[in-house]
Amino acid sequence: MELLLQRIFDALFNGAIYASLAIALVMIYRATGLLNFAQGELATFSAYVGFLMLAPTGTAAAGIGLVSFLPGLPWPVPLAIAGAVIFGASVGGLTERLLIRPLEGRPDISVVNVTIGLLIAVNGLTVELWGTSARRFPSPFPSETSDFFNVGGARLRYESIGVWLTLLVLLGLLALFLHRTKIGLAFRAITANRASAQLCGIRVGRVLMLGWAVAAGIGALAAALVADVVLLEPFMMIRLLIFSFAAATIGGLDSPLGALVGGVVVAMTQTLVPAYIPLISTELSLLPPLLVMAAVLLVRPTGLFGTRRVERV
Amino acid sequence: MTAKLETTTPPAGQEYPWRHEQRPGRSRITNAISAVFVAVLIVLPFLIDPIALRRTAGVIVLTLAVLGVVVATGYTGLISLGHGAFVGVGAFAMGAYLDLVNLPFLLALPATFATSWVIGWLFGLPALRIKGIYLALITLGLGVVFPSLAKRFPEITGGVTGRPIDSTMEAPAWLGADHTITYRYFFCLAVCAVMFWMTWKILGSRMGRAMQAVRDDETSAAAFGVKLVTIKAGAFALSAALAGMAGALQAVLFPFVSHEQFNVFLSFRLYAAAVIGGAGFVIGAVYGVAALIIVPALNSVVGLLDNDVLVFGVGLILFTFLSPNGIAGSVRRWERR
Repeated sequence: MELLLQRIFDALFNGAIYASLAIALVMIYRATGLLNFAQGELATFSAYVGFLMLAPTGTAAAGIGLVSFLPGLPWPVPLAIAGAVIFGASVGGLTERLLIRPLEGRPDISVVNVTIGLLIAVNGLTVELWGTSARRFPSPFPSETSDFFNVGGARLRYESIGVWLTLLVLLGLLALFLHRTKIGLAFRAITANRASAQLCGIRVGRVLMLGWAVAAGIGALAAALVADVVLLEPFMMIRLLIFSFAAATIGGLDSPLGALVGGVVVAMTQTLVPAYIPLISTELSLLPPLLVMAAVLLVRPTGLFGTRRVERV
Repeated sequence: MTAKLETTTPPAGQEYPWRHEQRPGRSRITNAISAVFVAVLIVLPFLIDPIALRRTAGVIVLTLAVLGVVVATGYTGLISLGHGAFVGVGAFAMGAYLDLVNLPFLLALPATFATSWVIGWLFGLPALRIKGIYLALITLGLGVVFPSLAKRFPEITGGVTGRPIDSTMEAPAWLGADHTITYRYFFCLAVCAVMFWMTWKILGSRMGRAMQAVRDDETSAAAFGVKLVTIKAGAFALSAALAGMAGALQAVLFPFVSHEQFNVFLSFRLYAAAVIGGAGFVIGAVYGVAALIIVPALNSVVGLLDNDVLVFGVGLILFTFLSPNGIAGSVRRWERR
């Protein structure tokens, strides 16, 4: 029982990370019908930039020129994460402006190609600059081995609570942004009906650029928070991206609440299935969420909470 | 199979970029380029040393895997970001047939082809319901999970460390043992040629036309009597079987299999090579693999980058913007002028 509780607590941390990445994916998917395959790699790169703000040494200092103009380096951890988020958001906005918007009217597969290209290129650049060795990105929350609440004999780490609080604050801010600001209204209008929104005088391009920036910022935040646990290395986000894709798909690609539920479900299957089914090792933890994702898609091709689409010839 | 009204159809302007002409045409420039390729392939063993030859040949056989991506993505519109996994299936199956079943090479190859075909067919079945970007997701997941999955079957895959294949292909006595690599190389070329010829015939047949009809508009294809199950699952099966043959030939060239060879970056490379070469053209696979060989070779001379995968990412983006039909599309445009 204690062990089960402990496993659920462990899964909660991952659940928050997957959920936040999934929410970022869903935001873009709702507005544009596109998925950003490069989301994870851009987030990794941003986390490295955040790492540069934390007094790196030796080979880790490559590309220091990206941040050396900033005053008062090295920065404390929360500020460096904020820096990573701002960097990620800028790159996300630029990506929309330079790589996605010019493809408007082209087939969807062009955007798939460009985001896959970006995934490969950014990953290559990360390896090129910082090599493949793993680094520890300190957590902004108390993360010593003694930092936990004892709940029924299981350890609920402060770090998990911190990540969940961050996620909830993020969701609150996102809801405020979408429902209480004019740009948020414009974003929702584009999501509902892009052509009509454009006819109403909404500058679709600018609003979407902001949307991509917010999504990339969320991704950078998730990468910086998870880098304490999975360690900062160029390939850290590929598995995470699959998990969050699975979370988003299980929840339905156009439902933010679904993404949250999906994130937790994926994290639970990832932790609990290898623990109780010996055939599936921890390393294979990717398999159950993928199978769940495939099963969900086969039964409901638009996900559990997704809107069904009627197609015409 | 009855045509379901709920099947998706892309709205106007959403067609795949590589839509026109897929039947091998008669054209001087393409023929000339093909002749140059064939000439280079034939003289290559006499120009470089065996080690370099084996390395290069390992990439050359990947042409079949890229051809697989061309069949699935370019001709049928089924985006596959996980073809590296099928290459792995082929390599492991080949190793198993050679060592565990003790089949001779000429029987192990067709057996591997059949195995990859069946596994691809099984993966093609979900593609009937999972479409477009969702299929891209599932195949990407397959590409990512494959190495860890392979490690779970150590008697076939050698687990964490990989496994040497005991039965190796040796040159016949009259040729001498010095020419083993050259012998294997020409054996692989011959198999590639047969595979290309077969794919060419299939793509030019009724099935090839049905595949393109499915890509351009699934609903109307079904309305015209194209059997979606047969075509989609068949296309995926053929595509996986081609990729599997690439893996099998790699195992012939270098009798060692390990899960590390078949990671998701192999899948990315194959996809990038197909798009850069021209996903709508059979010869696109050749151009794509030429890029896979030339870029690292140039890079080793210039020494600018530690990892050339960067080039393929940038290339994928540039080609999508400048020439969505890839090198083959550009050549074709040039010919028409």
